[in-house]
Amino acid sequence: MGREILKSAMMAVDEINNQAAFDFSITAHVRDPRGIVSEYHTVCDDLIRNVGVEHIIGCYTSASRKQVLPIVERTDRLLWYPARYEGFECSDNVIYVGASPNHNVLPLIRYVLDNLSREIFCVGSNYVWTWETNRVTRELVSAADGHILAERLLELGESAVGHIVDEIVRKKPPIVFNTLVGSSSYDFIRAFHAGTEAAGLEIPMLSCSLCEPELSIVGPASAGCITSSAYFESIQLPENLSFVARWKARYGEDSSPSVDGQSAYVAVYLLARALQRAGTSDIGEVRRAAAGHRYNSPQGPVWIDGGNNHCVLTPRLAVSNRQGQFDIFWEADAPVKPDPYLTQLDVAVSPSREASVGGALPNAPHLRVVK
Amino acid sequence: MSRPSSFSLRGRKALLAIKDDRDASIVRRQFERLGIDSVAWGAGAALDVSPDVALIDDEFLPLAQPAQRTMLGRCPVIALLGTETPSRLKLVFELDPASFLIKPLRSAGIYAALVMAFERNERTNELKQQVVKLEQRLRSRRVVLAAVLQVMHSHALSEPAAFALIRKAAMEQRKTIEELSAEITARGLPPRIAG
Repeated sequence: MGREILKSAMMAVDEINNQAAFDFSITAHVRDPRGIVSEYHTVCDDLIRNVGVEHIIGCYTSASRKQVLPIVERTDRLLWYPARYEGFECSDNVIYVGASPNHNVLPLIRYVLDNLSREIFCVGSNYVWTWETNRVTRELVSAADGHILAERLLELGESAVGHIVDEIVRKKPPIVFNTLVGSSSYDFIRAFHAGTEAAGLEIPMLSCSLCEPELSIVGPASAGCITSSAYFESIQLPENLSFVARWKARYGEDSSPSVDGQSAYVAVYLLARALQRAGTSDIGEVRRAAAGHRYNSPQGPVWIDGGNNHCVLTPRLAVSNRQGQFDIFWEADAPVKPDPYLTQLDVAVSPSREASVGGALPNAPHLRVVK
Repeated sequence: MSRPSSFSLRGRKALLAIKDDRDASIVRRQFERLGIDSVAWGAGAALDVSPDVALIDDEFLPLAQPAQRTMLGRCPVIALLGTETPSRLKLVFELDPASFLIKPLRSAGIYAALVMAFERNERTNELKQQVVKLEQRLRSRRVVLAAVLQVMHSHALSEPAAFALIRKAAMEQRKTIEELSAEITARGLPPRIAG
């Protein structure tokens, strides 16, 4: 994923340096912490103290961001963080460009509760993203009188997924929510597809993280996954069609941008536009210039909410298809304000559920005789 | 009835007694993000609000008036510590803090300190209620003992049998053992037990 983020960021840097609209050029100093968490602090320390870097774009996992946080706060630099994350953080020295929890898990679970089922089987990687996503899911499902049928966790990188697929085939849950990441997710999706197909089951799978390059890695088994994301390659906006064309010209016709890569591209543009507007690279000035400044990005209009340094963006839901793409079936009417602490979350309220009062609800709770 | 979630902070009211302007502005900014209303308070001023939580700077300790301590005792307190020396910590104990933050403040930690303070407060209140209940039951043990002795004498029963009889009668009449014991000692045996 780090490579995808770097590819998109470098594409944006090159574009900006070739545009007359920007009266400065950006010099990228690239460091590779190789995914080793402790290395993130070391390379950022080097970039800040020895190279004199003021703005850092990067980090994918929350663990890596937490390593960088103390040093950017102490030295008053800005980290432009492109990834979706679980929220519950708000540093003045971070611009959170990816989706907040109210952008990804909320619309997905609301959709499932309103249209598919009130019973969900959860399987995920044993780390903070899954823990927090499952907590929010449980709150929403419980408020709708539904049930979390199981919550199975695998260690990061674990490939032994067979026992979980066996359990799913045995229990036949109406929905499986997959918050596994990396190779565990790919192994699970393949085994899940094979296991359910052999048993003649059609169980929809949910994801808040699957993206096009991963569909390509997993292969045809990845089709049919209901996915929540702010970006899909199939967005039909002119800004995205042009972005995808430039991407393919640069990285190959078979290559696809990903949500986090596109977000890194957006981050570089938000930074460049704020630098241009501020007329200086001073952190405070750039932060102020970035706030509320709308940018028509590939994923649609985005801007930074000055109140919490998170990105205002448009949530979308899509289903993965056999061609390695996503068919978008829902998007918010307008860009949605970020709510990193889920302050506005009212678990009992769902506009679409209120609209369907009187109608039959899927898996609606009912009385039963207990002897 | 389920109690409000300690994770949801929207609409709560906080009292802020913070000396340093930068610390105060970091807290106010974070509170806006969390949907918390705040009221500033100087240690010398009158305390005429009833907040849901209070953030008290250790610079303001010891509190001058006992009334301030009483008022603050009604809500969870988060102590803001400038130093970890035992002498200062002893002063902070006066507030019986439910949580704390280390100065200089940063946005990280404030949410966790608040959630912990609300949760600690809820659990302490539940414990206090349980203690009151247990104390009541302890006080009424004397009455139960008197009732058991009365039934032992009148029915020529052993102590366990007399207690079992009272317990059975209390269940039948949908009363607590303590309530029925009080009736037995006050008015003698009810007809059903007596019969």
